[in-house]
Amino acid sequence: MNKKEILKLAKGFRGRAKNCIRIARERVEKALQYSYRDRRTKKRDMRSLWIQRISAGTRSCDMQVHYGHFMHGLKKENIQLNRKVLSEISMHEPYSFKALVDISREAFPGNRHIYHRPRKVDMSITA
Amino acid sequence: MALLLHGSSAIVLPSPSSSSSVNPSSISSCNISSPFVVGFSVPASKSAFNMDYRMTRDFRDFRMALKEEEKEEERKERKEKPPHIPLDQRWMFEESELDGPDIWNTTWYPKAADHVNTEKPWFVVDATDKILGRLASTIAVQIRGKNLATYTPSVDMGAFVIVKVNAEKVAVSGKKRTQKLYRRHSGRPGGMKIETFDQLQQRIPERIIEHAVRGMLPKGRLGRALFNHLKVYKGPDHPHEAQMPAELPIRDKRVQKQS
Repeated sequence: MNKKEILKLAKGFRGRAKNCIRIARERVEKALQYSYRDRRTKKRDMRSLWIQRISAGTRSCDMQVHYGHFMHGLKKENIQLNRKVLSEISMHEPYSFKALVDISREAFPGNRHIYHRPRKVDMSITA
Repeated sequence: MALLLHGSSAIVLPSPSSSSSVNPSSISSCNISSPFVVGFSVPASKSAFNMDYRMTRDFRDFRMALKEEEKEEERKERKEKPPHIPLDQRWMFEESELDGPDIWNTTWYPKAADHVNTEKPWFVVDATDKILGRLASTIAVQIRGKNLATYTPSVDMGAFVIVKVNAEKVAVSGKKRTQKLYRRHSGRPGGMKIETFDQLQQRIPERIIEHAVRGMLPKGRLGRALFNHLKVYKGPDHPHEAQMPAELPIRDKRVQKQS
C-alpha cells in the first residue's frame, strides 16, 4: 500500500501516528491485525452480551431463574429462539419474556429438589 | 396507460408499472375493422368514422375497463409506496429501513436519551449491622446496571445513586474488626501507611464502604464515573430527600449480621 492509503487509514490515531508515515505504517499494520482478530471475537462478544442481558432479564422476574435453568427449560420445550432474539425480547417485550420464563420454569423447575449437604454454620463473633 | 384511437389505429403508451397489464387481447377485442396493424401505426388524420366510434358502447365499455385497471394500479402503488423522505436525507436510508429501524435483527445499543442521569432511580440503604462485603457487592451490581435487561458494558445504565446512611455502623464478621488492614502509600520510600478497620472507622467511616465498592466496580474511566454515583453518609440523614430514594432491594440472605 502506498503512503497515501496508509495515511488515510491512520485517521484518528494519536500523536505522530496519524501524520508521520514511518510511525503510521506500524500503527496501521497493527490496527489491521486487530480488526482481523476482532471480526472473529466480535461474534463471541456479542453472544456473551446477549447471555448477560437474558440472565439479567430472567433474574428480574419475581421468581429468580438462572440463565442456565432458563435455557434448559427452553430446549426441553423445543423453543428454538436464539439468544440474540431472546435478549431483544427481554428488553422490548417484557411480558412476552415473562411468559417464556414461565414456560421454561414449568418445563424445568430447577434443582430445588436435589438434596444439598448441610453447610458449615457461620461462627461469627458478635461486636 | 392512455389509449388513443385515431381512426383505425391504436397507440398504446405503456407506463413503467403497468406494462404487464397491457392486454393485447383487449385491444384486439375492439370492434375495429381495419386493415392496419393495431398498436404500431402512425396516427391517422381525424375522420368521421373516428367520431362515430367514440360514441359506441363498445368503446365506452372498453374505456371503463381501462379506467378501472388504472385505479387498481394506482391503489397498489399507493400501498407499496415508501414513506416520503426529504431529498437531503435520502442518503441515510437504505431500502430495508424505510419502515423504521430494524430492532429485532440488530442488537440494541442505548442512545443518549436512554441513560439520562436525571431520570435514573435512586436507592437508599441503611448500613447498620450489615456485612460489609455482601452489601458492597449488591451496591456495585446496582450501580453498574447488571441487574437490568438493558445492560450495556460501555454505557452507564445503572440505577444511579445509592445513598448509604449510618455508614459507621457497618459490620464485619470474625476478627476483621481488629485485624483487617487498610493500606495506602504516599509514593515516597517508606511511605506506607497502615490502619486497621477499627481505626479507620473512627477516623473516616465513609472511606470503608467507598473502598469496598470501588474495588468491585470496573477500573477505568467508566468505573470512575460510576463511583461518583455512590454517596455515603455518616449519620442517619442524607441531603438527597429531593430525589425520593427508594429502598434498595437486597437479595442476599446473609447480609444482616447475626448477633
